Formats: sequence, structure tokens, C-alpha cells
Amino acid sequence: MTDIPLTAAPSAGLSAFPRRGAAALALVLAALVAVPVAVGNPFIYHVFITICVFAALSTAWNIVGGYAGQLSLGHGIFYGLGAYCGMLLVGAGISPWIGMVAGAALAVLVALAISYPCFRLHGPFFSLATIAFLEVFRVLALHFRDLTGGATGLMIPLKFGWTWMVFRDRWPPLAIAFGLLLLTLAVAWWMRSHRIGFYLVATRERESAARAAGVRTVHVRLIAVAVSGALTAMVGTFHAMYLTFIEPASMFSLTLSIQIAMFALIGGLGTVFGPLLGALLLVPITELARGWLGAKALGLHGLVYGLVLVLVVLFLPNGLMGLVSRFTRTGAGGRGAQAGTVPAVPRSAERPPIGADVIRVEGLQKRFGGLHVTNDVGFTLREGEILGLIGPNGAGKTTVFNMISGFLKPDAGTVSVRAPDGTWHQPGRPADFATLGVGRTFQIVQPFAAMTVEENIMVGAFHRHRDVREARAVARETAERMGLAPWLGSEARGLTIGGLKRLEVARVMAMRPRVLLLDEVMAGINQTDVRRAIDLMLSIRDSGVSIIAIEHVMQAVMALSDRVIVLSSGQIIAQGSPQDVVRDPAVIEAYLGKEFVHAHA
Amino acid sequence: MRVLARALAAALTLGAAVQTTARAADVKFGALFPFSGQLALLGEESARGVEIAVDEINAAGGVQGQKVVLARGDAVDNNQAIGEARRLISLEKVVAIFGSYSSARSIAASQVAELSGIPYFELGAVAEEVTGRGLQYLYRTNPTAEDMAKLAVEMIVKKVAAGLGKKPEDLKIGIIYEDSSYGTSVAGFQKKFAAQAKLNVVTAQGYPASTVDMSSLVLDLKGRGIDVLLQTSYQNDSVLFLQQANEAGFKPGAIIGGGGGYSMQPTADAVGHKVIEGVLDTDFTQYLVNTQYTPGIENFVAAYQKKYGSAPRSGHSLNNYVGAKLILQAIGNAKGFEPDTIVKVAQGIDVKDGVTAVGYGFKFGKNNQNERAAMMGMQWQGGKLVTVYPDSAAVAPMEMRK
Amino acid sequence: MDVFLQVLANGVMLGGLFAIVSVGLTLIFGIVKVVNFAHGEFLMVGMYLTYLAVTGLGLHPFAALILVVPVLFLLGALTQRFLIQPLLAAGDHHIQIFATVGLSTVLINLALLLFGADIANTPPSGLRQPLQIGPVRVLLGQVVILGAAIVLVAGLQTFLARTRTGRAIRAVAQNRAAAELMGIDVNRIYALTFGIGAACVGVAAVLIAPLYPTSPNSGTYFVLIAFVVVVLGGLGSIRGAFVGAILIGLIDSVTGFYVGADMREVAVFGVFLAILILKPSGLFGRQLRLSHVSP
Repeated sequence: MTDIPLTAAPSAGLSAFPRRGAAALALVLAALVAVPVAVGNPFIYHVFITICVFAALSTAWNIVGGYAGQLSLGHGIFYGLGAYCGMLLVGAGISPWIGMVAGAALAVLVALAISYPCFRLHGPFFSLATIAFLEVFRVLALHFRDLTGGATGLMIPLKFGWTWMVFRDRWPPLAIAFGLLLLTLAVAWWMRSHRIGFYLVATRERESAARAAGVRTVHVRLIAVAVSGALTAMVGTFHAMYLTFIEPASMFSLTLSIQIAMFALIGGLGTVFGPLLGALLLVPITELARGWLGAKALGLHGLVYGLVLVLVVLFLPNGLMGLVSRFTRTGAGGRGAQAGTVPAVPRSAERPPIGADVIRVEGLQKRFGGLHVTNDVGFTLREGEILGLIGPNGAGKTTVFNMISGFLKPDAGTVSVRAPDGTWHQPGRPADFATLGVGRTFQIVQPFAAMTVEENIMVGAFHRHRDVREARAVARETAERMGLAPWLGSEARGLTIGGLKRLEVARVMAMRPRVLLLDEVMAGINQTDVRRAIDLMLSIRDSGVSIIAIEHVMQAVMALSDRVIVLSSGQIIAQGSPQDVVRDPAVIEAYLGKEFVHAHA
Repeated sequence: MRVLARALAAALTLGAAVQTTARAADVKFGALFPFSGQLALLGEESARGVEIAVDEINAAGGVQGQKVVLARGDAVDNNQAIGEARRLISLEKVVAIFGSYSSARSIAASQVAELSGIPYFELGAVAEEVTGRGLQYLYRTNPTAEDMAKLAVEMIVKKVAAGLGKKPEDLKIGIIYEDSSYGTSVAGFQKKFAAQAKLNVVTAQGYPASTVDMSSLVLDLKGRGIDVLLQTSYQNDSVLFLQQANEAGFKPGAIIGGGGGYSMQPTADAVGHKVIEGVLDTDFTQYLVNTQYTPGIENFVAAYQKKYGSAPRSGHSLNNYVGAKLILQAIGNAKGFEPDTIVKVAQGIDVKDGVTAVGYGFKFGKNNQNERAAMMGMQWQGGKLVTVYPDSAAVAPMEMRK
Repeated sequence: MDVFLQVLANGVMLGGLFAIVSVGLTLIFGIVKVVNFAHGEFLMVGMYLTYLAVTGLGLHPFAALILVVPVLFLLGALTQRFLIQPLLAAGDHHIQIFATVGLSTVLINLALLLFGADIANTPPSGLRQPLQIGPVRVLLGQVVILGAAIVLVAGLQTFLARTRTGRAIRAVAQNRAAAELMGIDVNRIYALTFGIGAACVGVAAVLIAPLYPTSPNSGTYFVLIAFVVVVLGGLGSIRGAFVGAILIGLIDSVTGFYVGADMREVAVFGVFLAILILKPSGLFGRQLRLSHVSP
């Protein structure tokens, strides 16, 4: 998605935000208030109030659109709900401040109700659904005119004072708008720098990897939508009081919804302060353009606006914040960094003894249409052992993995996991497996590309450690164990395949799993690294983690496994010690070839 | 960053100031209309009326000896309307604002003017709510949605019923309207006045103005045996409806449009002059009217033609012209441009019917609405929109098909 | 009964209209996987071109096809090449949405600038001739649209199934990387597909212009309906888009008559949302497998 990692600069110090940036931000915010007060002109006040309002709306939108990556083009729903709630309550003699809270609460309910079914929709479908919902709300607002005033709209009586949020002076509305802006920025910043922000970005980047890391992806996105909706509604209530007149067309407006998304895009999707920048730049420019071009020729100003949009999208996909960060970033690590040598891991003199069963799989069945991909598969994993899962391509190994990690539901059969307290559970979703201490990697590496190596591992660490600092410490430690320490600050997308595989393992290890499911971890790395990786796996085992490994690299299988299961066409055709399995004629017939010879080297 | 913000503020102030430069002996008035966006066509048309009024006033020596300068404000949406009103008042320092064609813009902008104590003269917006708020500095010269509905019902009772050979209570009335504030407000009043006149309104249905198809609506109306159909609509839906009604064989005794698309020549051309023949319309004073009742209208049309190189596109320019000119003339008779002075002379305006180019008279009454403002009834005859009601303004008799 | 049949007939005719507008979109959306929010504006451009061809050059609308279709094809191909292709590399269809929204704004305002806000009316040229089929009355132009929609759908199906280029297009749709490895020039295929989709819209525009008033905003209503139809029918299924269109037309007509004109939008969008939530793959689509969406 965006090129900008979670933190604006390599996380060298305590604060995640560089000093220079913080100073600049403070100046901008101060200017937002200082300039209109200094100039004193009502028109300037209006422009700056509009900037604050749109910056707040965009920042709130960004929580869903940028962080969570769900492009909502229907945020006008919440804006309109806040506006109407405030107006209607004022009509009933209740202060709009209460209306703000009521509007926010209503928005939360609506946000949850709408988003929950829509989250399954990806990308454009989600956007279309939000547009459809917006239209429905607009038409309903028109229809129920006894309640909403219908097409002719609602007005508020001109009662002045802080209770009613209508003022003769210019500065109070600016103060409120600015206050709301600060609120949205604070919430956005807080979310980004705490666990939920990491979870949201991870979900946006790779939903399945996030789920494997124990993230409840639907849950976090619902939180994002609820928060975003509530903030948007609050701004809507204020703006309604400011406009003193609302109607369905301008409240449940597709144009407005697209506009706030646009400001966020132009400023920098997924950054905290991008939307502010976007609004700061675009609102005055739109005002000016309209002033100069609007009256000259019909459509000229709109044409220029559209062209600017297209140009920004084509040439500045990371928005203005992308430009800014290119100047401020101090070169966070080299691209294409080779994952270096794995440090020699001190091995304990003896490995812990193999314990009782920790995973029991019985009678798994799965069909995809007419294809019987898993046929009565059952096995156990004992504590402290390494179980190898091998078989020719297409045997169904990854399918079994998916079923024992919650990514696929078996048609029949059970998967039981023993909790640390000894009780047996049958987990359903990936998050449940993660809670029980089962972690997995993916055959095709799934890094969170936009995050740094450290942040990637932190996502795993968050599973056991809520606090950002703790998670960071655990991530660092895990990175060192995995030999990734030199690349902590680099973007994940810059690593080689070997590094990415190691990152994958590191992320899972940061979750402190009891069981590790490795899917072809050795694939695609060179001979020396295979040796080192084997040592790493053994040291992991020695630390008390049980492992099931799907492997094709026979050298590794032979060196690592205590037991091996051979899968072919969905069925188990052999089980036993590596040596026995390798000699089994059925297995040799299924697929072993020349590699068999090398395995004894 | 700070430099950027300061530069922006400076640019804004400069940019706004660049708009109009007036010399010391000039007096500035604001012209706040939608010049861009959806409503631009008629917003611009309305503003043209104001511009011609200003030209004539200046040619006659200006207002209190000073030349009138118009500062334009583009009210493209409600938020913008507020901003432009602020700009006109605080940067351009206008003494009063003329506006705004759109009721929503008018409502939003006039709140600002009221709070600043600057007079706002609405010349063309029709929704009831504009003057219904009881603002002190807001005056409206033009007839409203209520007047439009009243006239339509009057036409039905006084002329159409007889023309169809039936008693008004026996007629089946159908009301359809586009669902924005324009259509909704007119239709609302149509229902009210119809009920007062004891007419039988069989159905009242709204629809989105952007609709692509009205065949199910047409079918419904046909099935109900509607005698008189009232439609309030813009261009697109007027054309669609008239075409699809004609093709479906839905031929009610009378169709009465509520301004909008029904008053515009492109609509008649698109639908076909034969199809639109006989269709009635209630709207602002249009151009084929008895000039005895509307003296000066021919001069206006000539002035418009000269300045803009084409005939006026709708009656909006005429209405805005008459309203603006009258206000400016009244202010010309005062001393100074203080808001309260302006308001006082406005209240003193008393013009009878049949004196101005729009026909109706001017006297501001309750809520500062011009009580003498009235719409006119027109009919498409031979591809032209001619005034047929009231009789004093009519150029041709109303023709009913039996 | 007669009335009911007329309602149904109206619905089918409306469905034909929706179908011919949506066929192009389903091709683009289903195969190139691009959300073209400017689809309605392509239609609007085509309608204005038809208007110019008929009033300016004196052509019959059918003859205007020769002019409009290639121009629209070019418009589509160029949009793909210069607007979408650079963004596809970024692997992010969020950005595409904004790019096409920008394009849509540009086209609408360009039309406003060139033609003004008044409606432009293409002379019907005989297509408003009413036809009486039993108790039901329809317009010749509407029947032509329905017929053209069927021909277009059938033609596209055949093209995709039987021709070499068609197979290449389907290959790219199913697995871009593999297609590339097979030696298919993916960018060229994308541009071609977008162009064909736009050309289909061109055909729609030519047939619609004589029946409906044209204004800069003509496309905006159509684009939402088109997306509803495409999703209902199933992503990438051209036959599905046709069936979906007829269904939506019927729903629209029936709701408009039996419930009320103002609830039509709610009914259509309600159906849309129901499909999105309950069966996102639509009536005929296979399980959604957008290759750049995480598994």
C-alpha cells in the first residue's frame, strides 16, 4: 500500500516522532488558530473553520480508510447522522452538546450494523456497499419528512450562547472546530502508536498473516469503524450548528464523502497527519480556484479540480506526507539487505524429554467440490517433539495445516489442542488457536510489507504483551535470536527470501507459541543457510516448543524430525521414524528420488 | 510549514481582494448566486437580471450620485454560500446583498447577513422557509412556492374545470414532483390549496430528479384516470415525463407544470412542439405577455439581447432585474447606506400591479415578503410559451382540449 | 392484467437499457479488475458525440455508430494505458477508485464547459415509434436496445470463448502472472479489454441518445445502476450481467408502480446490499478470487 512505515522515522529513540516533525506540527496547529485571530476578518475565520472541519473529518475517515484499508465512500452517513441528531434535539430544546454525544452513539450503532456484514467484501465491493448505504440513508431522510423535514430541510432558531453553539463572535466556532480537530488527531495518533494501530495496519496488509498472529481482524476493524463514525458524527453536529440549516442532499452527500477521502489520499493515506496536510492545502486552493475560475466559465473550476486529483493520484500516490518523509527520513536501512548469518546458538547439553500429547487430530475430512483432498487424516503431536509432514506435491499438506490452524473448517473430524493447564480445547478460528499457543507460518511468505522488520515482529509480540514498549523489547530480543537484529529498522519488503522466511518465523516466535506449524520454511534458501536454519529449529525445540514442519528439503526432514508422517492424495500412507519411513516402499513409490541419497550426508 | 500557512492566508486575502476594486465614489452591492455547480445555469441567468438593473441605474446617475459596483459571490453549496456571504460583507464591504435563486443557499447566506446586520434582498428563491424565519434584514421581492401552488389551483378552479366541461370537485388531480426542496415545497402547497378548494387529489408522488425512466409512474397515473396532472420538475424529468406520457397514451385533460423545466424552450424543443402543445405552466413572468400589464418588458429583452447576445433563457433574469432595480431606486432616494436606512426605504416601497415589467406590484408585508408578488399562468402554444392567466396579463386565451 | 403485463414490459425494456450500459462494465470490472467510476461519463461522452453526429453531420444514429464506437474504444484504451496501468504497478485498487473518480469529474466539467448545463436533445430519427405488441406498448428504440444488448452479450461470449484473443483475455483474468509467463502481453490485453468495454458503452450511447435527454450529469445515475447490475449478475459473468439487468429493471418497474416512485431507489439498492452481503459472488459468478487480495 503506502511506502511509509508505521513510524515516521526509524524508531531509534523513545519517541516515535522526530523532533523536527513535532515542531513543524505544533507550528501548523498554532497557525490554524493564530492566523484568523490575528487577521480578525470574518471571512478568514470561515475559511479556517472550514479547514479545521474538513481536516477533522478526513482524519477520522483515515482511521478506517487509511489504517484499516477499508475505503469507505459513505462516511457522509455519520456526518449526516450527527447533524440531524443535533438539530432534532435542539428542536426539542436539548443542547447540541448532548446532541453531539447522542449523535456519536447513534453513529457507533449504525457503523457496527453496516460494517459487520460488509467487511467480508474486499476493496471496491466495500466501497460500493458504502455508497449504496449512503444513498439509502439519503432517500430515507427525504422520505420520512415528518421527522427530518424532508427535502426542505431543518433550521435552528438563532439562539445564542455556548449552550446552543450559535455565536455572534467569530472565535468560539473556531475554538470548537479546532478542539474537534485536536480530538481527532489525538485519537488517531493514539491508535496508531498503540497496539490497535499495529493490528489495523497488519490486517490491512495481510489479513491471513494477521489472523495467524492472533489478531481478531474483524474485531479491530469494527473498533476502527466505530471510533471513526463517532468522531465524524461529532463534527457533523458542530457543522450543522455552524451552517444553521441542513438538508438531506448536502448532509448525506456522496460528494462530501469522496472529498474527505480525497484529502486523506492527497495528504497521505494511513499517516496520522496526512489528512490535516491535505485539508490545509486543498481547502484554501479550492476557495481560491472557485473565486478566480468559478465565475469565469461554467465547469472550469470543476475541471481543474478533477485534473489536480488525477495528477496527484498518478504522481504522488503516497501523498504529501510521502514527499515530506522523503526529506526527513534518515535512510532507514538498505534495500535488498541480505539476511546475514544466523549467530551460533548455544545449545543446551540435552534436549528436554518428549512429553504428553499436545495436539490430537482425528478423522479429518475435506472435500473441495468433487475433489477429496483430505481423507481420514489423524495423528498426534507430543510435547517437545518435531513432527515432519511430507508428501508429493498436491498431497494436501497445506490443507491439513489450514485445518489445524483455524484457516479452514474440516468437513468432519476434530482438532484438539491441550491448554497449558491440561484441559483440552477444540479451537475454531485462528485467533483461538493463537490463544492456545499454536502459531504458523505460510508457504508463500506474508510479511507486512509497509512495516519495518521490528514492527512486523511486534505484531506477533502483541499477542502476549499489550504495551508497546514491552512488545518492542520482545520483538528486539526475538530478532536477535533469529539473526535479524541488523535489519530491525528496514522495511520488510527489502529483505531477501531467506530473510523473509526468518522474519515469518520470528513473528510467530514473538507470540511465545507452544506449538509451531512451519510450512516449507526451508524452501528457496541456500545450502549453508539450511544448515543454520536446522540449528535454529533445534534450538527452538530445545526451548520447549513442539513443531510440525511441512518440508521438501529431505536433509532438513531427516535431521530434524523425531517422527515423520507421509501424506499422499489426502491420505496418510506411512508414519514412523524418519529412517523407517524413508525405507517404506509405499513412500518410495509415492515420490522419493535422488534426494534420498543426499539426506544421509 | 508556518511560512506556508502564512503565505496561504496572505494569498487568500489578496486573491479575494483582487476580485473587485472600487473607487471611493462607488458603492458596492453583493451578487450571491450559484455560478458553478448544478444550479449554475439559472443562477447565472438570475444574476444577469441584476447586472442589467445595475447598468440602467448607473446610466441614470447611480445611487445617491454614486456608481453601483457588483461584487460576485459563488454560492455553489451551503458551506460556500456562508463563506461567500462573509467575504462579501467583511472583505468587499458591500452595503447589501442581492441573491440567490436557490432557497437552500438563500437560507444559509441570509443567516450570515442577519447576524452581521446587513440587508439581504432575495430576488428569486421560492421556498416558504426563506422568509418564514422572521429575519429583520431579509426581504424577498419575488413570488413563492405558495404563490405558485395557489395560482395553479386557481387556474384549475376558474378555467381548467370549465374548459374540460366538469365541476372542479369532480376532477381527479394527480401531483408529481422531483424530490428536492423545490419540487417538495411546491407540491406541498399544491396539496394544501387543493384541499382548501375541495379538489380531489388522487395521488401525490415524489421521484428523484435524476431518474432515467418514468414509465411506471405514467402507467400508474393513467390507471387512475387522472384528469389534471400537476408536475414540478427540472428539465430532465420534464422531458422524460412528457415524452413517456405521450408514448404510453396518457393524455390527461390538462398538465400544469410548476416552472422549472416547463418554462424552458429546450424542453419544448426536446419534447416536440406538437406533444407539448396545450401544456400549462405556472412560473415567474415570462416574455410572451401582455405588455400593457408589464410595461418595460420589451426594453428589458432588448437590453438583455444587447448585453449577452441572445434572448433571455428564462423569466428569472426578468424577475431579478425588476426586484433589484426597484430596491436600488428606493435606496437612491435615501440618505446614506446604513443598514437601517436601507431597510427603512425598503419598507416604504409601494408599487401597484401593472406598473413594472413583471406585472405584479411591490409592498413588503409580513416577514418582509412582497405581498403583491404573484406567479403567472402560461401555456405552450405553437412551440412558444404564452401567458394565458390572469386575463389582464394574457396574450392569448387558454385553450383546452376536450 | 393488461396493466401488469405493461409493467412487466416496461421492466424488461428498462432491463435492456441497463444491460447494454452494464455489459462494458462487467468486462472491465470482471477481467481487468478495475473499478471504473467514470463508466457513466463514458456513456455521457458517447451520447454527446451521437448528438453532434446526428445534429451536426446529419447522420442517422445507426450511422453514428461508425464514429462513436471507435472514439470510445480509444478513450477506454487510453484511460487504461495512462491512468490505470501506472497504478496497477502499485498493486492497489484503492488508488484506482480515486483516479477514476478524478477522471469522472474531469469529463463532467469538460462537458459542462463545452455544452453548458442545458439538455441536448438528439432527434429521435424514427426510434420513438411506438409498437403495439398485444396489450403492451413499447418503443421501437427500446426493442432495438434490448436486441442490441442480446447481440452484444452473445457476441462477447463467443469472442471470449472461441477466439485466441478472447482466450488470452480470460487467461489474464484468471491468473495474470501465469498469463504473462505464457507470453501474453498483459498490458496490451488490459488496454484492449478496457477499449472493448468502452466500445460497448459507445454502442449503448448511440442507441440511448435518441430516446433520452443528454446533459453532463446523464451518466451519474447510470453508473450506480451499472455497478448494481454487475455485482448482482456476478463478477466477470457477461450472461449474468444481462440477467441481472433484466431483474433490476423488473424490480424497478414493479416497485415504481406498486409501491411508489420514490421507493424505487431504495428497492434497487436494497437488493444490491442484500447480494453483497449474502452472496457477493452474485447470481452467476464463481467464488471471488481477486488475485491481489490476500487469501
